[in-house]
Amino acid sequence: MSDRKPVVALQNPGVKRAAEFIREALSGRKALVIVGNCWVDYQGRASSKLEPGERIVLIKGDGSVLVHRPAGYEPVNWQPSGCLFETRVVGDVLHVRAIRRQPSESVRISFDSIYLVSVLSLVDKGEFSLYASEEDMQRAILLEPSLLEPDLKPIAYEKKVEPGFVDVYGIDGNGKFVVIEIKRKTAGREAALQLAKYVDSVRATVSREVRGILVAPRLSRGVQRLLVSLGLEFKSLDPKRCAEVLRRSESRKLAEFFGET
Amino acid sequence: MFKVRMADAKFLKDMISAISILIDEATFDLTSDGIKLRAMDPSRVAMVDFEWQKTVFDEYVCGEAMKMCVNISEMMKLLRRTGKDESVELSLDEKTGRLKIAIKGKYTRTFNMPTLEAIEEEVPTPKVTFNVRAKTTTEGLREAIEDASLVSDHVRIEADNEKMVMQATGDIMGATIELKKGSDALLDIEAKEASKATFSLSYLSEIVKAAVATSDIATLEFSTDMPIKLDFKQPKEGKLTFYLAPRIEVE
Repeated sequence: MSDRKPVVALQNPGVKRAAEFIREALSGRKALVIVGNCWVDYQGRASSKLEPGERIVLIKGDGSVLVHRPAGYEPVNWQPSGCLFETRVVGDVLHVRAIRRQPSESVRISFDSIYLVSVLSLVDKGEFSLYASEEDMQRAILLEPSLLEPDLKPIAYEKKVEPGFVDVYGIDGNGKFVVIEIKRKTAGREAALQLAKYVDSVRATVSREVRGILVAPRLSRGVQRLLVSLGLEFKSLDPKRCAEVLRRSESRKLAEFFGET
Repeated sequence: MFKVRMADAKFLKDMISAISILIDEATFDLTSDGIKLRAMDPSRVAMVDFEWQKTVFDEYVCGEAMKMCVNISEMMKLLRRTGKDESVELSLDEKTGRLKIAIKGKYTRTFNMPTLEAIEEEVPTPKVTFNVRAKTTTEGLREAIEDASLVSDHVRIEADNEKMVMQATGDIMGATIELKKGSDALLDIEAKEASKATFSLSYLSEIVKAAVATSDIATLEFSTDMPIKLDFKQPKEGKLTFYLAPRIEVE
């Protein structure tokens, strides 16, 4: 592990030197970053042509390819994993071809100048978890109010009150109004004060008792005391739990039914 | 050689429009008997099964069997240009791989568009034993689904031998839509056993909205927590059927 070099980079290597370097990296199934002036031809289910320009080309160890322009988050050309590669130098131009068999398609990236080539030997065993957004948390609470407490009945969301919008507005099991403010991350003093304003505003218009609940995964230090002194409550809710609730309501795939009789 | 003519261009436009709600690239099977297409939408929740015998066309020539793949939204752009009392002619130039679309009315315009490399994917039919079979007017079904869409993005369909009930529960509102056997909307219903299943309304409403232009009578078949089959009866010989996977029930 100690002699592992995560990154080896060549600056302005020249086309020939770059070609050798890239070939070696491809045969070792390493990830590559190539920055240079290039043009791209795609042939396959459709065909496309990208005129010369300075771009960032990523080739990953699994044989996927991404061609990025200097702006925009999406690649302008790409190929999924499993490509075979062919590199060729013709005159002063380096052609890198990524070929896919099924469906048959190929991308040819041609460089006439190369500013940077880096070969990356990266280790990444971390798991990716997608947590819910604040809006997802709101949807999950509306879908399953018992996440917060039994017998809670939401009656509106994004309800306009004088200072702003109440995330979820409902009635609890005892007939009291409930104003809910949701935070996706640790809730601080501002969240508590914001909720207090909403609760005051609702209180001014109704004759019933009004509860305010701050919903967040956790509170910043000292906020619990502030909530108590404002007469508000806190309910801990993990965005991950919300994501699970939402996932349960998703559609099944048709293919699940191909085999049944 | 593939060359077909249809005296009423609207007929073709409506059908392509119905197919376009699920898929972007359509691979048609062209044979001497007619044209067929069976494909799933990209999220693989719904399927369209379409067939037109050659008799649906006013002229139909297809030499040898082949597949033709087209970008269906591009094709729709062209077909949208058809008006009343216009005819349409499709012909495939096998050398260039381009599809020619000639629309004839007060004047003639001929568009051409590329065909794409066909994706070879055999899509099987879902194997489901259906316990409920309901015959509705397509318009009545469309109205009911539109009602449900007001309050939710999904609907539970329940049926027995007397009625079909759609139950939509939204975040804050709910709806119950009852269609009784023998009413103008529900022409007939048979249920081997009472069944219920939940479906996405965005799919259902898009499917039914598009199909209403092609068909007056729809047959729904489903079973508890199984896919629903929606068959839209065609005025001429032909088939337009959709399958939609159920949603996983919350609770």
